[in-house]
Amino acid sequence: MAQIVAGFGVPHTPIFPHFVKRDGPDCEIAKLFGAQKEQLAATRPDLIIMFDTDHLNTFFLDNLPIFAIGIDQSFKAPNDEPRDVPNYVVPSMRDVAVHVRSAVIAAGFDVGMTQNYSVDHSVTVPLHFLTPDMKVPVIPFFVSGHVPPLPSAQRCHALGQAVRHAVESWAASLRVVIMGSGSFSLEVGGPRMAPGRSDGVPDPDWAMRVVKYLEEQKIDRLIVEATQRQLLKAGNVGGELLNWIAMLGAIGHRKPTYVAPQMENGHAYGVWRWN
Amino acid sequence: MSIFAVNHLCREVLRDHVFRAAMKSDPAKALAPLDLTDDEKQKLLAGDVGGLYRMGVNAFLMNYLARFEVCGLNLKAYNERMRAVKVDEVGCPVP
Repeated sequence: MAQIVAGFGVPHTPIFPHFVKRDGPDCEIAKLFGAQKEQLAATRPDLIIMFDTDHLNTFFLDNLPIFAIGIDQSFKAPNDEPRDVPNYVVPSMRDVAVHVRSAVIAAGFDVGMTQNYSVDHSVTVPLHFLTPDMKVPVIPFFVSGHVPPLPSAQRCHALGQAVRHAVESWAASLRVVIMGSGSFSLEVGGPRMAPGRSDGVPDPDWAMRVVKYLEEQKIDRLIVEATQRQLLKAGNVGGELLNWIAMLGAIGHRKPTYVAPQMENGHAYGVWRWN
Repeated sequence: MSIFAVNHLCREVLRDHVFRAAMKSDPAKALAPLDLTDDEKQKLLAGDVGGLYRMGVNAFLMNYLARFEVCGLNLKAYNERMRAVKVDEVGCPVP
């Protein structure tokens, strides 16, 4: 039987690969991703399922599902030219993706799909740092976190739980890692940018509160407070928190191994390991 | 096809390198065949990203105009014009 062996929460800032190339392996970003890379390798994953919000690159405003899953043997990444990121072909597991989609639809989640697809920096940047040889298969699970109306936090958490049941009903033995990709508070290209930058952190208090709730395992409290209004108050990509919440639903009630905040960016690096 | 067309062309600046080059060299000519209102064209050519945001254009997508420096925009100009838009606590424009 397949089993979920760990959960990871990751940022995906598209300029980070450039910063690490420029600043070297001792810079903070390299160290934080490096620590996660070691943790991930120790889990010996056969598969990563990554909850992610596409930045209108895999999908667009003419065709935008609330939830969707990537179904193919591989996918191309990235499709949005983040600086100093090579072009990758990432392996996937088509049969497992088909099974997960079928199982969560049976559980009441109407999940769309994409085939012959590519992904943007929000999937690629974490993989660039964590699995740069691209040997571990990845299934992207897309959650609409940027364009209101957003799915509710409760719904995303329940979706994660349904994904856990789907994984556990896969007969073959697989060690599955669940990832959630995104920020807690971030405005990109909008009026709440910081002076002189292309982004900003409109609600740092919320970002800190999210970290506190993660560390203290107050996930019910996090879900109650992560209303659409709060997510939008946190920035025009503040809804990316929903990917972390879906990940938390998938891994169950677990104590984090660590949560390392990087509050100047409104995000964190989180690891949940128990197996 | 108002607003959607503006959002779409912003993404095409990222994706379509021929269109990107055309927008850099002669934006008026590049925009001419697109299904845009006169107001949208004028605001695009003026780099009036604040005005476009007030009309409902997606800020994340408009950021590509600054990233690739089209319509007279760069990071500094984009940042100043966008930050001049008054918004409520969830980012919606207010009068």
